Amino acid sequence: MADTGRKKRILLAKSQIDAHDRGVRYIARKLLEAGEEVIFIRYGVPDEIVHAALQEDVDVIGISFSTGTPLAVVPKVMSLLKEQGIKDKVVIVGGIVPDDIVPKLREYGVAGIFGPGSAPADIIDTIERAVSKKPSA
Amino acid sequence: MYKKKLLMQDKALKEKWQTRFSKIYGDREFKMATSSGIPVKPFYTASDINDIDYEDVGVPGEYPYTRGIYPVHYQFQPWMNEQIHGYGLPEQTRERMDALSEQGMEGYFGGSVHNIVSDLASNAGYDPDDPRAEAWVGQGGVAIYTVEDMERLIHDLPLDKTNFVWNIQDTSMAMLALYIVAAERMGFPKERLRGNTMNSLYRRWCWDCIGFPPESAFKLMVELIAYCTREMPQWNTTNISGYCMIEAGGSPVHETAFVMATSIALTDKCIQAGLNPDDFLPRFGFHIAQGNDFLENIAKLRAIRRMWAKINKNRFNCSNPKAMQARIFVQTAGSSLTAQQPLNNIVRAAFQTLGAILGGANAVQTDAYDEALSIPTEEAAVLALRTQQIVRHETNVPNVSDPLAGSYYLEWLTNRIESDASNLIQKIDDMGGYIKCWNNGWLSGELRKSAYEWREKVNSGVEAVVGVNKYVTGEKQKVPVFSVDESIGKTSVERIIRYRNQRDSAKTKSALANLRQAAIKIDQGTGGEGYLMPALIDAFRAKATLGEAMEVIKAVFGFSCEQ
Repeated sequence: MADTGRKKRILLAKSQIDAHDRGVRYIARKLLEAGEEVIFIRYGVPDEIVHAALQEDVDVIGISFSTGTPLAVVPKVMSLLKEQGIKDKVVIVGGIVPDDIVPKLREYGVAGIFGPGSAPADIIDTIERAVSKKPSA
Repeated sequence: MYKKKLLMQDKALKEKWQTRFSKIYGDREFKMATSSGIPVKPFYTASDINDIDYEDVGVPGEYPYTRGIYPVHYQFQPWMNEQIHGYGLPEQTRERMDALSEQGMEGYFGGSVHNIVSDLASNAGYDPDDPRAEAWVGQGGVAIYTVEDMERLIHDLPLDKTNFVWNIQDTSMAMLALYIVAAERMGFPKERLRGNTMNSLYRRWCWDCIGFPPESAFKLMVELIAYCTREMPQWNTTNISGYCMIEAGGSPVHETAFVMATSIALTDKCIQAGLNPDDFLPRFGFHIAQGNDFLENIAKLRAIRRMWAKINKNRFNCSNPKAMQARIFVQTAGSSLTAQQPLNNIVRAAFQTLGAILGGANAVQTDAYDEALSIPTEEAAVLALRTQQIVRHETNVPNVSDPLAGSYYLEWLTNRIESDASNLIQKIDDMGGYIKCWNNGWLSGELRKSAYEWREKVNSGVEAVVGVNKYVTGEKQKVPVFSVDESIGKTSVERIIRYRNQRDSAKTKSALANLRQAAIKIDQGTGGEGYLMPALIDAFRAKATLGEAMEVIKAVFGFSCEQ
């Protein structure tokens, strides 16, 4: 693992109307156990994710989906970050992500995509590496 | 239950067994347990069930209904093939409905059944042009927001012979009202409609998604129950869902205890509102998961029937037998499906379907193998239906009711689940009741703890999941993945704008104002007065949309992610 020296602040976000939170809650707990700081929110519209990320000054934004709709949310989050000139946030996606949209999400700059059963260690490792590569704010 | 002589024989035989066992295995320990963590012995005998009152096992169709609620069941009336489905626009879901009916999906007595799941947008009561709905229109279910959408789904169907299950939670009342208005336009008065609303506004404690706060949730549930009890004699009002508790990570014992606690809390509230349990309880039903622990889940169904009968008789003094007969809709557990090696799910669902039938389910949904990846393809949905049809026609299992009754292990386990669940119900009572345990997070905490422990066991290899932590291959199984056409969001928005433009807006506005007055009255009372449903029906007759009506109700009762 890279850059384990500093605690990361991680925002985990799930839509208010997408009930299935078992996976994201497990990941939240594993990140806490690994010494990271975790903020979990339920968002109404994608703007709230960006707003919370700025307010909480997080290093990482993780967005969780139980249906195949990341493309209706993630591009919006990325462009809002871009509009505001924010380059220091790592964005990851978890949950049910259809294979055919994975390349598109990567194009938008998503640093990691974690489907069902992903090992927490892999997620933590991705976070550590990606954060260490980002410019500091 | 057994004579002294038999018990002495049993003791002597077990001593012989012990001697032989020790000779081969020494003092090796058994560490087996059920999925609820109940430790089990390598075998069971008469002495394990000697304390059971024989009448608690009894015969099918007699109190306490452990062995089923009918004197004969599948022999004369097979279970309903209650396959949950819904996606995209209403006409797309209609195609799937027709396809499944054509493939033999059947309700009771020659009728049809459709368990229609709504999309996430309408589940939360949003119209498709609400910014919060954008990613969720037609996703996870069908996009129905107006009477016109409802008509697109149900046109030309014989509604008096069709069992419609509206699989939607917080918006149960509004979806039923849309159905009533569309049905009356097709010439079917509400009195002749048969089917089921979920009315499961309590479900949100299983997660922390958006919904009504506990007190409001109960008032709204009571209101729907009161209305249907009075106005819709064939309508099953309420579905007590343990399924969501399993999906959120609970064990079969949690599920058993918490569905009973939910039923108790709701019955209490209905009685407080002046309703008679002998009138409304016959229209309650259960939605229960059939998970991977084959025998524990069969025992659980038997325990649920017995407990509900006893609780309603002893706690609520019911005398109507129908108020003690638990009708159980079983769904094979979605949480047991794996995205890895998805074809394995065909096998899991088949075992679970067989389990549901051995447990005496009244209706069954067999999950499609691809549901860990997406909404099922038509091919996968038909295969799931075929699974039920094979159990029905080829196994001979339906010939004999409750065929596992009398098994020492199964009877012991049925009893053990009942006793563990009763202890949990007592704990909830001691802590101040269900609503308090919802509010303070105890109920959800139990599920989360259990979900975490399970995942830890899987990740450490203590709990085997084939294809996930055992027999893993480097190759990815390629299966077709269904996707909902992205354009349906746009179509839904265009439709709803046109719908709003073509109505008499003064009439709609006045109907929504009446709805608000009715909601305020209910909020100030206990629910159960029967104001809200008629006002909702009038609002939809006046062409209000689902989102508009729900916005009015939410403003009065509160609606948020706060528990």
